[in-house]
Amino acid sequence: MNVLHAWIEERLGLSAVTLFLEKKEVPRHKHTFLYYTGSSILLFLGIQIVTGVLLAFYYQPTLAGANASVVRIMTEMPLGWLVRSVHSWSSTFMIAIVFVHLLGIAFTKAYRKPREATWITGILLLAASLAFGFTGYLLPWDELSLAATKVGTNLPKALPVIGAWLTQVMRAGEDVTGDTLSRFFIVHVSVLPLAVLAFLGVHLFLVQRHGMSVPLEEERKGIKAPVLPFWPNFAFREAIVWLVLLGLLITIAIVAAPGIGPQADLMAPAPEGIKPEWYFLFMFQMLKLFPARVLGLNGELVAVLIMMAGMAALLLIPFIDNRPAERKGKIITGLAWAGLAYAVGMSIWSLL
Amino acid sequence: MNGRLRTVAAVGIFLLGSFVASGILEARVQETPQASLKPAAANMPGQEAPAAPRPARERMTVYVLLAWVWLSIAVLIGLLRLRVREADRIFRMGLNRAAEHSPKGPGH
Repeated sequence: MNVLHAWIEERLGLSAVTLFLEKKEVPRHKHTFLYYTGSSILLFLGIQIVTGVLLAFYYQPTLAGANASVVRIMTEMPLGWLVRSVHSWSSTFMIAIVFVHLLGIAFTKAYRKPREATWITGILLLAASLAFGFTGYLLPWDELSLAATKVGTNLPKALPVIGAWLTQVMRAGEDVTGDTLSRFFIVHVSVLPLAVLAFLGVHLFLVQRHGMSVPLEEERKGIKAPVLPFWPNFAFREAIVWLVLLGLLITIAIVAAPGIGPQADLMAPAPEGIKPEWYFLFMFQMLKLFPARVLGLNGELVAVLIMMAGMAALLLIPFIDNRPAERKGKIITGLAWAGLAYAVGMSIWSLL
Repeated sequence: MNGRLRTVAAVGIFLLGSFVASGILEARVQETPQASLKPAAANMPGQEAPAAPRPARERMTVYVLLAWVWLSIAVLIGLLRLRVREADRIFRMGLNRAAEHSPKGPGH
């Protein structure tokens, strides 16, 4: 065993990593639970990669084969329905925890100097996660997924100059067809994973570079927060959280496995009750409620511009909120709470 | 390793081992779907594919698997809690810092 250890050590030099982990410290305060969210996201990302590869062995991204291959996975493959269910639920779990992670960072003002780049890579990872959800939703190629994708890809059309082009790039043509399906599949299984790996690499490097942030209110107390060594004290606690989440995921995947609707028909009218995934519900409801014309402008264009402004503000928040401890910072916190309440309210309204 | 830890570890290894063994036995009796060369049919309008298996045998297998998963998780959490307590005690006593400064032998 010692010989093997020495052989590996000589080639990889892993003791430097172990030493780093032993010296890494995790601050202890009332928001410490937020530190568990980052690694939980990684857990679900790993599960999605494994289950996604298993599904890709049998999935056929063609007009004739997509729906049939998903039916085959669910009915003929041993535990295929469970693999699909775990894949689908782990994406829901991951995005939910990404939101908790993001909100935790936002409300503890952990994006403040020098962690602006960490925040930006985090927002890019959020965008990639949402894109994973959007592209993955079409892949079963059932009535609902086709209709939701038509609505989603139609959104950029409202934008002047680049809108029509953007829709065409997303759809691989004028309308949602088999080419859109192939395009979404390629983006889902190769483009987005590569993008996520790149952003994640930078994000993790920056987290290690700057260490774990202490919430602003703790920092203002002026006393150094007590710490816990990352290895093994915090890592073992993280392992417990992972196990509980894993158990919950498997239980929900078994109890509430997603079904699949009838094969999409490109000529058929849109079915009733089209709804996107839960994390797009607030945007969907906002578009539904927006008047056709606002101050002489196209209502859809105004809605899209408001959403884009919201996204830009989210991305640039470390630079906007550059004095977090002062009055400006408090106003921004208030606005963030209002934005969150609006998104939650709209999502609930959409479900009613 | 104290006696309690050893007992929990033994129970954990037994449970995980039997879980893996039961999985292998189950896999042996399952038919390989590649044997059928007929293409699968897509869902027709008004038709929904079942979300979970309907045969009672497979349903039962899945619930047994779920019970094993939770049992294994409970055992592993028990083990991890012991390790957390031990690590916290070492940290409180400052022994982790002492170990860092102690001279290392030729084996390290």
